[in-house]
Amino acid sequence: MIDATAPSPPVRASRRRTHLDHLLVFAIIIALWSLATWHFGTYWVSSPWAVAIRFVETVASGELLRHAGYTLSEAALGTLIGGVPAVLLPLLLRRHPVVVAILDPFMVGGYGAPKLAFAPLFIVWFGIGMESKVALVVTVVFFIVYFATLNGVRALDARLVQTAQILGASERHVARSIVLPAAIPSIFAGFRIAVPYGIAAAVIAELISANRGLGYLVQNGAMNFDTTGVFVAVLMATLLVQAAISIMNAMEKRLLRWRPPSEPWLETGT
Amino acid sequence: MTDVPATMADVASPPTASRKWLIHGGRAALALALIAGWEYGARTLGPLFFAPPIETAQRLWALAVNGQMLSDIMATLRVAVAGFAIAGIFGVILPFLLRRSPRATEAVEPAVLFTMGIPKYALAPWLILWFGIGDMPKLVVVTLVVFYIVFITTFAGIRGVDRRLISMARVIGASERRIAREIIWTSLLPFFFTGLKIAFPRAVSATIVGEFLVSTQGVGRYIEGARQVSDTTGVFAGVVIALALVLAINAVLNGIERWALRWQPVEREMEL
Amino acid sequence: MSPLLEIKKLGKRFPARHGREPSPWVLQDLSFSVAEGEFLTIVGPSGAGKSTLLNIIAQTDTASAGEILLGGASVTTRDPRALKPGIERRIGYVTQDDNLLPWRSTIDNVLFALEVQGKLDDASRARAEKLIQAVGLAGFETYYPHELSGGMRKRTALIRTLVYDPPIILMDEPFAAVDAQTRTQLQADLLRLWEMGRKTIVFVTHDITEAIALGDRALVLSKQPSRIAAEHTIPIPRPRNVKDIFALPGFAATYEKIRADVQ
Repeated sequence: MIDATAPSPPVRASRRRTHLDHLLVFAIIIALWSLATWHFGTYWVSSPWAVAIRFVETVASGELLRHAGYTLSEAALGTLIGGVPAVLLPLLLRRHPVVVAILDPFMVGGYGAPKLAFAPLFIVWFGIGMESKVALVVTVVFFIVYFATLNGVRALDARLVQTAQILGASERHVARSIVLPAAIPSIFAGFRIAVPYGIAAAVIAELISANRGLGYLVQNGAMNFDTTGVFVAVLMATLLVQAAISIMNAMEKRLLRWRPPSEPWLETGT
Repeated sequence: MTDVPATMADVASPPTASRKWLIHGGRAALALALIAGWEYGARTLGPLFFAPPIETAQRLWALAVNGQMLSDIMATLRVAVAGFAIAGIFGVILPFLLRRSPRATEAVEPAVLFTMGIPKYALAPWLILWFGIGDMPKLVVVTLVVFYIVFITTFAGIRGVDRRLISMARVIGASERRIAREIIWTSLLPFFFTGLKIAFPRAVSATIVGEFLVSTQGVGRYIEGARQVSDTTGVFAGVVIALALVLAINAVLNGIERWALRWQPVEREMEL
Repeated sequence: MSPLLEIKKLGKRFPARHGREPSPWVLQDLSFSVAEGEFLTIVGPSGAGKSTLLNIIAQTDTASAGEILLGGASVTTRDPRALKPGIERRIGYVTQDDNLLPWRSTIDNVLFALEVQGKLDDASRARAEKLIQAVGLAGFETYYPHELSGGMRKRTALIRTLVYDPPIILMDEPFAAVDAQTRTQLQADLLRLWEMGRKTIVFVTHDITEAIALGDRALVLSKQPSRIAAEHTIPIPRPRNVKDIFALPGFAATYEKIRADVQ
């Protein structure tokens, strides 16, 4: 039998071609960026090289990582405080549809509300420290994850619950062994959207008012006409988002081994 | 613990009259409790933290009467609509162009996914250096925020067009124009609304955040201006305006969608 | 000796919804009984309410009229909230869809019932392993349902119920969705397992051959409103060879008689 894990020669060749294409796109982006730097001057558009050097320097000095650490803790804390009740609430309310119906217009309103517009309000309430950023992340994360989980619980296959009950499962077993695992893909889908958004929310709150964090670095760089500093901070924020996505992908792969493999996102469908 | 059957059937069962009353009563009670909590917060924490509901209402009335509310809303909507339109055009056209070449799609995929993760608002301070404090920096931010939403939704939409339907139509001899109108258009319509429903409120919200950072007018300017002079009533009134504006837009878009997609079962889409 | 399961004048109609009239009677005046250790098959045309009947017995649905006795005691309820699916583990139910838990591997699906019943020990594990061997699933213990073939999923669903040994097992066309060859194999497997323990089985099918091959006795359901139209004792001695069931004496005559009763 053929080993299914080893790609056949044509597949390998096309994969190599794709990697080359990726490098090519990367090179084009860097070239365009350099062209912009050359045309407008480093004062307006910092060069890729200067950004790379500054990035390494500020990572080495620990300054960049310290600010990234603040932003990351705000986002992580907010995701935790907002995400945990957002997952638990639909699971606990599964047998109480009336309560879900009562909450619904308020949740829909919260979901649709422009949460980022609340940032000044949170600064009024919690000051310019970490608390106001965490509060903003909490409101951003909570509603997204709540509706994602609720969708998962609602889409639950009633026949699986019945089967489990016939096999002798108590309500507790049903909640733990049927409802929760069935909702996990939806919960993940929620966090996948909520976490990058939460990191962005922390950065935005720092942009408005803060004395530390990546948003503060951006604002500070702009104030000193230091475009290199601005770019480095934005790059770091983007890397945080990518890291969060990679971690979630790895967790999802582990937790959802039982699912048939699905197509990647931007698949062409041809 | 009792073993009542835990099917979702009890959720789907039609609400009886008493149940309807319970739900409406519960909603009214919860709304009252929220306002009471607001009032209580104003009394215990002081007007610097919590503007009392009455004062907020009076401020809203004053803003409505002197015309500032309308001019701020119009200023915000102007940028939001312009950014939405530009992003909409590129976000729809690019996927159609990319669709022709799977290789190009694969080539740009990592770049798209990476740049999508850039917190676009963080570019605002740099854009202000470039463009000054006019509408331009906000417009760029709004366009970037909306572009990715439209791009991803359209891409998913194109992929979702059922190829079997198209080849079936070819087999029975439908013209390409007819196929485009009958199959591609109707298949894309739900995605178009999904994109619109997600992207337009997001454009408004992005404009408001842009106005926090740089502006001379608009709803966001009003909120941030009030915060900077510790006018908590102004912050509350501004947030209420922003909330009402976006929720009203959501309601209108939902209404339009329900009307246009009468043939489809209703579902709540995920936010992108 | 009273029968293990007794159905008396059972009736079912679905309740009114959104101001519509209640549905016509799906089942009406339906009565039969099952003795301990008996393999009863029920044949009926599609839409005859076969699944509804099993759902009512397994208590995933209510009856609108009549009574069900389990071991001589009434277990009937009209209140949907008072239903006890599987009535305290005395009734096993193998449904048409396998309803395996997609996030559990084969072995974990088989052990699920034991787990929730708090009966998971070395003896029950060994029993599960023996059943897995018996139906040819050895080597597939760690596979997830989506990695198994249709026939393998059916076998998993079957032994998931057999492993906790409920006194009565209901089966709702469990082999309807697989190809003919696999179906014959599954029928043979089922008979072999049944010979080992002689459980009481109520097996519903639309396939007359299947009803004859498996059952001691076959009931024929009429069209809606369904009731028992006829009853036939299967004269074919056991052990039976399912593959050659057509050739066995008595098959052809029984088949003809049942076919005449199924409208």
